[in-house]
Amino acid sequence: MPVFLNMSVSFTFLRPFARFLVPFTLHRKRKDVCSTVLQKYMSSKVPAVSYPNKERTLPPEQLELDGWKITMKSSVQEEGISAVSNSKDEDPLAATRELIEMWRLLGREVPEHISEEDLKTVMESPSKSSKRKYLKYLYVKEKMKKAKQIKKEMKAAAKEEAKKDKLLETTEDDKQQNFLFLRLWDRNIDIAMGWKGAQAMQFGQPLVFDMAYENYMKPKELQNAVSQLLESEGCNRRNVDPFHIYFCNLKTDGDYYRELVKRYGEKWDKLLLTATEKSHVDLFRKENIIYLTADSPNVMTTFKHDKIYIIGSFVDRNMQPGTSLANAKRLKLATECLPLDKYLQWETGTKNLTLDQMMRILLCLKNTGSWEEALKFVPRRKHTGLLEVSQYSREFVNQLKKSKTFNTFPKGSLNIRTKKRWLK
Amino acid sequence: MTFCLFGFRSFSKLWKNNSYLWLGPGNSLSLFLVDCYGIRNKQRWFSLTTVSPQNTKAMNLLIAKTRYHRKGDEGSNKQVSSDSPHLFAAGAAKKRAQMNPQSKDPVSPPLRNTVQLPTKPLNSEEWDKLKEDFKGKANFENWISSQITHCRSSVDVAKSLLAWVAAKNNGIVSYDLLVKYLYLCVFHKQTAEIFDVYEIMKARYKSLEPGAYTLLIRGLIHSDRWREALLLLEDIKKVMIPSKKNYDDCIQGALLHQDVDTAWNLYQELLGHDLIPMLETLKAFFDFGKDTKDDQYANKLLDVLLYLRNNQLYPGESFAHSIKAWFESVPGEQWKGQFTTIQKSGQCLGCGKTIESIYLSPEEYEFLKENIMRNVIDGGDQYKKTTPEELKRFQNLVNNHPPFDIVIDGLNVAKMFPKARESQVLLDVVSQLSKQNLRLLVLGRKHMLKQYSRWRKDEMEKVQKQASCFFADDISKDDPFLLYATLHSGNHCKFITKDLMRDHKACLPDAKTQRLFFKWQQGHQLAIISRFPGSKISFQHILSYDTVVQTTGDSWHIPFDEDLVERYSYEVPNKWLCLRRKT
Repeated sequence: MPVFLNMSVSFTFLRPFARFLVPFTLHRKRKDVCSTVLQKYMSSKVPAVSYPNKERTLPPEQLELDGWKITMKSSVQEEGISAVSNSKDEDPLAATRELIEMWRLLGREVPEHISEEDLKTVMESPSKSSKRKYLKYLYVKEKMKKAKQIKKEMKAAAKEEAKKDKLLETTEDDKQQNFLFLRLWDRNIDIAMGWKGAQAMQFGQPLVFDMAYENYMKPKELQNAVSQLLESEGCNRRNVDPFHIYFCNLKTDGDYYRELVKRYGEKWDKLLLTATEKSHVDLFRKENIIYLTADSPNVMTTFKHDKIYIIGSFVDRNMQPGTSLANAKRLKLATECLPLDKYLQWETGTKNLTLDQMMRILLCLKNTGSWEEALKFVPRRKHTGLLEVSQYSREFVNQLKKSKTFNTFPKGSLNIRTKKRWLK
Repeated sequence: MTFCLFGFRSFSKLWKNNSYLWLGPGNSLSLFLVDCYGIRNKQRWFSLTTVSPQNTKAMNLLIAKTRYHRKGDEGSNKQVSSDSPHLFAAGAAKKRAQMNPQSKDPVSPPLRNTVQLPTKPLNSEEWDKLKEDFKGKANFENWISSQITHCRSSVDVAKSLLAWVAAKNNGIVSYDLLVKYLYLCVFHKQTAEIFDVYEIMKARYKSLEPGAYTLLIRGLIHSDRWREALLLLEDIKKVMIPSKKNYDDCIQGALLHQDVDTAWNLYQELLGHDLIPMLETLKAFFDFGKDTKDDQYANKLLDVLLYLRNNQLYPGESFAHSIKAWFESVPGEQWKGQFTTIQKSGQCLGCGKTIESIYLSPEEYEFLKENIMRNVIDGGDQYKKTTPEELKRFQNLVNNHPPFDIVIDGLNVAKMFPKARESQVLLDVVSQLSKQNLRLLVLGRKHMLKQYSRWRKDEMEKVQKQASCFFADDISKDDPFLLYATLHSGNHCKFITKDLMRDHKACLPDAKTQRLFFKWQQGHQLAIISRFPGSKISFQHILSYDTVVQTTGDSWHIPFDEDLVERYSYEVPNKWLCLRRKT
């Protein structure tokens, strides 16, 4: 104990001079000295007898509780004290950067590395919560990137292993093998899809994406919308009988256009779809157009092959109900919504589906005409199963759903069809 | 009485939970049958229902009856107070919610980790052992420190943890542990420890983050080094706008150390950031004011009261006591304060003075009308809620007609009684009102005119004889029309609906306009309280006075929130503090 005190005293005495007298390398050493002292001290403590029923006789004063403060105080910052004084007149950017660093130390969800651009975005966010949200987004992004990197490395390692194993196996190289095709499948598939796309451009049923919602969306939502468009276009391309896609109201100086060109790159000009600044009412006759919107009072009963369906390419996360319905009303177009309530036992979530889900549903309807098949593309988390429209009234099913008796059934048997089977 | 009610309520709940027999249609009975006859019969019951519709009807009837009975029971359990509060009285919404209780499964608390939290300081071996016992996924040090902080353990326990951690990593304690420790020190008001941690943080880190700054500010204001809290506040300002709690702490610290100017300057700064000060902050100014006899200070306190008035804020109960105490302590003015309520006529029970009227001034009225038109009906896109043609049709009707006395939300009124036919209910209400020679306008949607089982043509024709009607398209919104027609008819016109119009209030651009709307709504909305169809309709009592902090120079009337009453944002308090000067 006295030793320890002596040590600390000598330190506090030395501290003002330390920076001048002791070369920098010694700092670490001193830290080590400290810690060894601490450890020595801690280990020299008589271990308490760990009988649970026996009271420990050591009063708390005997436990050295404040030792850590000395080491904490005596450890000098990397830049030294001078940094504190000049932190008063630093620019807000650096301050924000430090704030993020401190939040990281606190275990908050903030990214480890942040670019200047992102830092500016964080700095300009008006409120604390918006700062946090953006930082969390960056943090998640960073995490995903890291995870991907690790996966990549693992895959590469596995490949190496496989290669080695292959080399060990003695293969008969001189044995001639007979093949019918060269391995050029991907390219062939692409070309085939291209032909089909060209055919759709000539004879396919039009499907319009209305791009008039640029101004209703925040940048984040717009990016999501573009991702969904890419996804939809991909599904359409792979389908047996693709639609002829139109991007209407696509302004060439708008954000949508810029983002699409950025994402598609060189492919943009070779896409087999029609992108136009014109409105859908200029291209088609009004009476053939059906605007699909979840707010519509009219329920779609069948898929009509002679109509032109319009999907508003609009990701709406900040609650602007009725925007697309208003657009359709303005142009006096017919509107329809999917018969989700009629066929599905809806649970949670909005009835606005993503663009790619809409695309898949429409393709499925076009090819099979069966609602049950098509509505499989509605996310399963949003509903508890298909309704047997013909046999049970909706009310009855609702009652069944609410009833507690169902808890005795195995999971998933909320689906009425399985329920019926079980009863027979 | 209330106690007895309580008993009843909980009793009925118990009874409900024990048997689902009366909970709802269908399900309850099936359960009942399972209990009695087992699964086989249940199956038969199912097949029965699908085969013979009569049977289900009978079943449903039975269920409906029982439900009806239950409702009756509840009605007798509930105390229907003779002087029902108005629609916007504090606590009214809660009462309404209790009228139709919803069964909610209680959420079971998450399972706690099994490690026993230490109650006294441990040495390193004990900490090691505790770490071995810990079977969580999280980092043990982080987890245990969070738990210690959460349970507000003693500072010594936390200290021993930090000592152990420091011993393990070369005398270094990580920042997050330090912050949690600081939280404990602040919670237990261990000023010396707070200083120590403050020194450590200053030595180790160039700058901190708002969380630690907040804790340090809160820790420092009670000590002699409270001025350093103000420097920390400056540090927060570098990266973000400090919270109202930060300002509250600093102001409290300044007042604690008799530095009035600093306190007021901070208060002005807080208002400058468009933050709404905590009521505790304002209360602190009043509490401090009791000991200062200074005219300037007194004027500033009156300004605070006017701030409450302009922003429609209401003090809490203890704050109201502080205000009363301050007024009564003003020398030479002899203020007398008492807690009271206001009569329906708008007169204070304490002094008999009439409270300010709920009616808007002509300028405010025009302003609100303009705003409703521009933001609620039009909203930048007329097609969202209506169409231009429809709007024109509506405006023609309103403009070419003498002002209405009452505007009725047809659909809302008609759907009051789920069991009664809609057109019948609407006709009842309209004919009762038209007997009083009132000019009525009924707003509805076009589907009401089509012949349905629930909308009989002859009844709708009678309605149209007795009142002017406007039917909007089925996909248009009818409420905005209701608001506009009422506003257009003038100050005497009222509207009938149970809708609280919160979504339309939200369309208005700023808080000031929203408050104006709310004030107008309180004075002009009639909500029907009829227990059953066919009975004489009676309305929720309308407030004739405005619930807001107000003064006449030698008297103040200040509404305040009681501690035990939960008030929703669209309600107003009903308790008042009445202050008057003896002359």
